[in-house]
Amino acid sequence: MISITHFLVVSAIIFSIGLYAIIAKRNAIMILVGIELIINAAILNFVAFGRYDKLNYGGQVFALFAIVLAAAAVAVGLAIILAVYRKYKTINPDNITDLQD
Amino acid sequence: MTAIANISPITAAIWVVLLPLLAFLIQAILGKRAKSGNIALIAIILSTLLSGVFVFAEIWKGIPRSVTYPWFTIGISTFTVGVLLNNLTVLMQLLVCIIALPVHIYSRAYMKGDPGIHRYWMYLSLFCFAMLGLSISKNLFMMYIFWELVGFASYLLIGFWFTKESAVQANKKAFIVNRIGDLGFLIGIAILFSVYGTLDLVELFGKEGRFLQTLVDQPGLITAAGLCFFLGAMAKSAQFPLHVWLPDAMEGPTAVSSLIHAATMVAAGVFLLSAVFPLFNAQVLLVIALIGVITAASAAFFALTQTDIKKILAFSTISQLGFMMVAIGIGAWDAAMFHLVTHAFFKCLLFLGAGAVIHEMAHLKDSHNLQIDPQNIQQMGGLKAYMPKTFILMAIASLSLAGFPLTSGFLSKDAILISTYEWAIHHGGGYLLIPIVMTIVSILTAFYIGRLIFKVFFGKFRTAVPQVSIHEAGNSMLLPMAFLAICSLFFIFSWNPISYHHAGVFQGFHVAYSFHEIHSLHIIIPIGLSLAACIAWFIGWKWYVKQQYPLQADSTLMRFSYNQGYINTFYQLTVVEGSLRLAKAAYWFDKTIIDGLVNGLGRFTRMLSQVSAWIDTYLVDGLINSLAGAAYYLGHLLRWVQNGRLQNYLGFAFTVLLIGIIYLIFT
Amino acid sequence: MGLLSLLIFLPLLALAGILLIPSRYQQSYKYVALVITLVQLGLSGYLYTQFNPNLAGINQLSGYQFVEVLPWIRLDLGAIGKLEIDYFLGVDGFSLPLLLLSAFVMLMAVGASWNISKSRKGYFALLMLLNTAVMGIFCALDFFLFYVFYEVMLLPLYFLIGIWGGERREYAAIKFFLYTLFGSVFMLLIIVGLYFSVLNPHTGAHTFNMLYMMNPDNYIDGSFFGYINNSFDVFGIPARMIGFIVLFIAFAIKIPIVPLHTWLPDAHVEAPTPVSIILAGILLKIGGYGIIRICIAIFPDAAAEANWWLALIGVISILYGAFNALAQTDLKRLIAYSSVSHMGFVLLGISALTAESLSGAMFQMLSHGFLSAALFFLVGVLYDRVHDRYIYNFRGIAGIMPKYTAYVAIAFFASLGLPGFSAFIGEAFVIIGTFNAESVGTGIPRWMAIFGSLGILLSAAYFLWTLQRMFFGETRLKGGETWAVAMNDLTVREQLILFPALALALLLGIMPSLAFEPMNNAVLGLLKLVENYL
Repeated sequence: MISITHFLVVSAIIFSIGLYAIIAKRNAIMILVGIELIINAAILNFVAFGRYDKLNYGGQVFALFAIVLAAAAVAVGLAIILAVYRKYKTINPDNITDLQD
Repeated sequence: MTAIANISPITAAIWVVLLPLLAFLIQAILGKRAKSGNIALIAIILSTLLSGVFVFAEIWKGIPRSVTYPWFTIGISTFTVGVLLNNLTVLMQLLVCIIALPVHIYSRAYMKGDPGIHRYWMYLSLFCFAMLGLSISKNLFMMYIFWELVGFASYLLIGFWFTKESAVQANKKAFIVNRIGDLGFLIGIAILFSVYGTLDLVELFGKEGRFLQTLVDQPGLITAAGLCFFLGAMAKSAQFPLHVWLPDAMEGPTAVSSLIHAATMVAAGVFLLSAVFPLFNAQVLLVIALIGVITAASAAFFALTQTDIKKILAFSTISQLGFMMVAIGIGAWDAAMFHLVTHAFFKCLLFLGAGAVIHEMAHLKDSHNLQIDPQNIQQMGGLKAYMPKTFILMAIASLSLAGFPLTSGFLSKDAILISTYEWAIHHGGGYLLIPIVMTIVSILTAFYIGRLIFKVFFGKFRTAVPQVSIHEAGNSMLLPMAFLAICSLFFIFSWNPISYHHAGVFQGFHVAYSFHEIHSLHIIIPIGLSLAACIAWFIGWKWYVKQQYPLQADSTLMRFSYNQGYINTFYQLTVVEGSLRLAKAAYWFDKTIIDGLVNGLGRFTRMLSQVSAWIDTYLVDGLINSLAGAAYYLGHLLRWVQNGRLQNYLGFAFTVLLIGIIYLIFT
Repeated sequence: MGLLSLLIFLPLLALAGILLIPSRYQQSYKYVALVITLVQLGLSGYLYTQFNPNLAGINQLSGYQFVEVLPWIRLDLGAIGKLEIDYFLGVDGFSLPLLLLSAFVMLMAVGASWNISKSRKGYFALLMLLNTAVMGIFCALDFFLFYVFYEVMLLPLYFLIGIWGGERREYAAIKFFLYTLFGSVFMLLIIVGLYFSVLNPHTGAHTFNMLYMMNPDNYIDGSFFGYINNSFDVFGIPARMIGFIVLFIAFAIKIPIVPLHTWLPDAHVEAPTPVSIILAGILLKIGGYGIIRICIAIFPDAAAEANWWLALIGVISILYGAFNALAQTDLKRLIAYSSVSHMGFVLLGISALTAESLSGAMFQMLSHGFLSAALFFLVGVLYDRVHDRYIYNFRGIAGIMPKYTAYVAIAFFASLGLPGFSAFIGEAFVIIGTFNAESVGTGIPRWMAIFGSLGILLSAAYFLWTLQRMFFGETRLKGGETWAVAMNDLTVREQLILFPALALALLLGIMPSLAFEPMNNAVLGLLKLVENYL
């Protein structure tokens, strides 16, 4: 029997992998992938918890919505990376420190 | 005319005092224009006339009169000034006038041509004012004022030739030594004032006076007062050991020496003691007598070897003052006053005569450009031939000093000596030593004055000059001397040349002696003394005229005498050097210790402030700085977070979130 | 506006005038100062003639004359009570003669400043400020007002010494300032203590009024300085005694006493002549006046207890000052030390607490005012000419400056107590009165009088020795011919300044009642105040 816990664990693992990718990767594309992984971890949770909303399937509807949104976000994200690349000639976030004081 | 004839003795006596003051003021204002001395002379002539005719003639042997004016009030006690005219004071006043007058006349010739003569007359008038005022003061405080003023006038006159170093040394010495006595006088006044509350002589010592009426519970205080007054008299009357100023005071002009330092001012001590005589009890009187006899003996001893003619006379004066002191000490202050009067005349004459001689010697020195001391009797000799009149006059004075019959000195000296013998016999024992010493002193007196006369007037002139251009002094110098010479003879004072009891001066005072008269003494002593004097003169004649001098000139004793017993050296080494050393020590103390303490305090404060500055910089400020540093460091630390790396930011965000979650979980 | 206010604030008028006149006309400053001081002298002379000597003063308001009272500062302090400071002036027999003396000495000082050339504006302005302060001190009867004037006095003196002084002027000025401040700061504590101990019987408020402080009834029971139930002490000394001692030290520095005197030789020597004149002529008297008016009148009980020590200090000052004077080689320093000695007589006389000695002390203050001013002026005359004061550099001055020598001799003899001059009366009555103290029972032994009288002897020694060394003998100067040429005799201006001072000393010596009469009742009044505690 696959319980909700198994879903959550998988989701947490995906989230952690995403987090790792966001924090540790030296490539903006990989960070974007990380973000996608986190979003997918969230979607997985939505779907998993959707089980408890058999009336409206709110979880599944929200998951679909999130997938669309993630696709849009990837498009925007890639566009930003492209713009950053144009400006800095790099997409390594370590080299882009304009937020420094 | 009647208005003048009816002038009261009080008014007259006041004018006698004021006239010389007026003369002083006028001459002070005129300054160098008053060279002739006429003003001073007129003042003293008028004073003498007034004093003789209106004061002395009225009061002498009559009823004493006095007048008192309030001067100022302190608290509840009023201090007064006043004039007291009784036999004692009018006699003193007249005496001062009569001595001052010839001295004034003499000075006109003697001081002629001196560049500072205007000052001379001024000072002389000031002295006369002070001395005359002293004589008639009714009040001890007032007397003290005049007492110091005569000292001041004497200071001015001793230092008259102020460019002469020895003169200005001498006048300083005179004033300071006199100051010692003045302090005694002042303390005496303070004692009387604190015990009796008044300083008026009549209120104190009169018949109804407080001195007799008040019971004093501290007899020691009265003894102290007596000793204090005596200290005052000791300084002024040059008593041992305060006599040192008088020989030095001879630096002044000789006329001044004769008036001030022989006849009048130095006698003021005797006068003062006579005026406050009731104050003295037996102990004080004994002290007075002892000091008197020591003075008489030591001064006579010192006079023996002096070579300065004026110093011989000065020591002779001291010695005679010692006689007077003895007379007061035995209670015979009438005899003291008598001797004061006679001594004034013959000693003044001796000085004036000496002045005439010095005057001539100085001329000789100037005209021949000699390197001699015109006052040294070793340089004189045989002057009898050149100055016969001066010789005769001085011989009369010398005889009088030696107490030779038919002179006034005979009467007064016998009065003292006989009374002293009577007193000593009355007391018996060791007291006899006093009259015996005095007898010896009398013989010594005859000897040293004989030495002076022999050395100056007999023998050969001892200064080597081609021609002795010495001649008699002018009449304006001789006449005053002649007048004084007449006054040195017996008939001025008594019609009886043998017995002093008939002397007029004596009869003016009624002194109750504490001892009995011994008639035999009245015959033995005069004869014995006269004989002894003749023997002394004979020896002197042989030694000094016949040149049969038997003594070693520089034996220890002679040198001791010549150097005045080394008393001056002793004082110089102890008192003077001592005070100067003390002064230096005090200044050292002030500069090093007290001021050093103050400066040290200043330095200490500065050091303290430096320490505080250090603390401020390194501790207080250090704390603040390290606080700021810590904050800065912390800030720096946190700044590292803000490195602009998105991933870091996220990482932190998550870390913090994680910590928050863990926190929530555990609570 | 009363006469006293006029007297006090006239110099401020002059000060304003001097500050307003542009520096082009700087020659006129001295004339402004001269006119004002002349008016002041006339005014104080008028006060003297109008003064009624029968009124005692001291602790009775009715005994004071020319009184002016204005409420000055009134503050409601809530729980502490009301602050009550008055502008309260008045004179009695103690202050009037000193007022006259101050006016005279000020005039002398202005005369002596005639040739000051260094920034005249500041100089005369400060002099006038000092003038105001001094007059105020002698008139003030409110302790706070007194203190204000007392402190105001310090400021101009500091600058006068520090700017116009001699070589070591800064050292001297700072020394002087710190010394005086040392005394006055502690005085302020006592003033505050007194303020909280005394009530104005009419309003019930605390007060600074000196007259109320002199009346034991006005003290709050159990207050710090209270007479009754006073259990306060400091280092084991009762509070009232400590108050007396602190005030005494404050004024004793001014007198000055040994060992608090070392500011005086330095300040006198470094100060310019006019300031020396003011220092010696007026400032030292503030000390004596303060002890009489404040220490003894407010703390009569402590004064009666401590007077033995005070007299001892007086005797020590007399002898110590005299010995130091004897050792000096600088003429000005000699006179400075002689001041210490002469002011010792003042302290001795005050502490003996007899009518004669107290009057003698007051008289000595007046006399010393005239004479020391004259003496310092005389030193200044010599210094102006050759810029040297070293005694051994001069000899036989009498030969080239006869008039000057005559004035010096008169001033010296007057100072050493020659009868006929004022110092004699002062010193003699201090001695007589002190001697009398044992009979009256004020606790001063007779030997103190005797030791004090030695000061008279020593004063003769140092003055005559100086006279002999510098003025008599053959003329021999260190500077040779140049000096002999430079040392011309006294000018008319100098004589105009000297003559009145010496003439006044003579006048007072001959007619002491001029001074004794106005102060006599005040003296008796003060003694009555102390009498109860002896």
